[in-house]
Amino acid sequence: MIGNDIIDLSLAKTESNWQRKGFLEKQFTANEQQLVLEATNSFVMVWRLWSMKEAAYKIYTQQHVVRFFAPKKFECKLISVKEGVVCFESHKFYTKSIVNKHYIFTKASLEKEMRSYSEMVSPHEIDKMIKEKLKDITACPISGIVQKKSKNGAPNYYYNKSPLIKSCSISHHGNYGVFSIIEA
Amino acid sequence: MTRKELIPSLRKIVKPYVQDQEAFQNLSEETDFINDLKINSANLVDIILDVEDEFDILIDNDSMEKMLSVKAAMDIIETKLGES
Repeated sequence: MIGNDIIDLSLAKTESNWQRKGFLEKQFTANEQQLVLEATNSFVMVWRLWSMKEAAYKIYTQQHVVRFFAPKKFECKLISVKEGVVCFESHKFYTKSIVNKHYIFTKASLEKEMRSYSEMVSPHEIDKMIKEKLKDITACPISGIVQKKSKNGAPNYYYNKSPLIKSCSISHHGNYGVFSIIEA
Repeated sequence: MTRKELIPSLRKIVKPYVQDQEAFQNLSEETDFINDLKINSANLVDIILDVEDEFDILIDNDSMEKMLSVKAAMDIIETKLGES
């Protein structure tokens, strides 16, 4: 399974104020708050950790038909500049993040090395671009490819009622859109 | 404060974070913050903090977990106001 999250950093700057009283305490563990406060760029650390939590949550909600808001329970550990681990109850998720001055993109998976495909696209064309990609890898005509969402909102793509891919995750924020898939 | 009176207060709180104005116009108890109003999940934290400030209550982690809709928010506010 795969879960992803993208954050447009210029939008995050105006949408949220991470220095607001209570903001860090509500969603980050004591260790994570420490990481934020000690970081060279605290703002970027806030959003890297947040994107790790989101990406992990998106896997969990593909495995379980539930919805909840418990960012603090998804505990992040940083392994390297790119890699991290998120633990939620007995579940473990491995993350890889790309951080640059424009955006943060994180993908999470259940195994440390997972073959997946991700593509950055216009936020308004995500569905169209996924269908293009699926046409290329499955040879199914685009007109017959449909997106269906599970009860709690996790998307997948079907052709003749059969799922075309093992797992799919979609994220958009501000100027950025991204999809990640694991081929069947 | 009655349940009905909570809706205008909540409307005022969520307004700055709403991405779907049409859904906001039709806001009711059944409205979902993320699916209907398209509120960014990071802004849910702001809504929770704003609710705490507005009603002078403390929303614990267990309550926060459920705060995905207008109805859930109203239930939590009512419960917390009843406790104080």
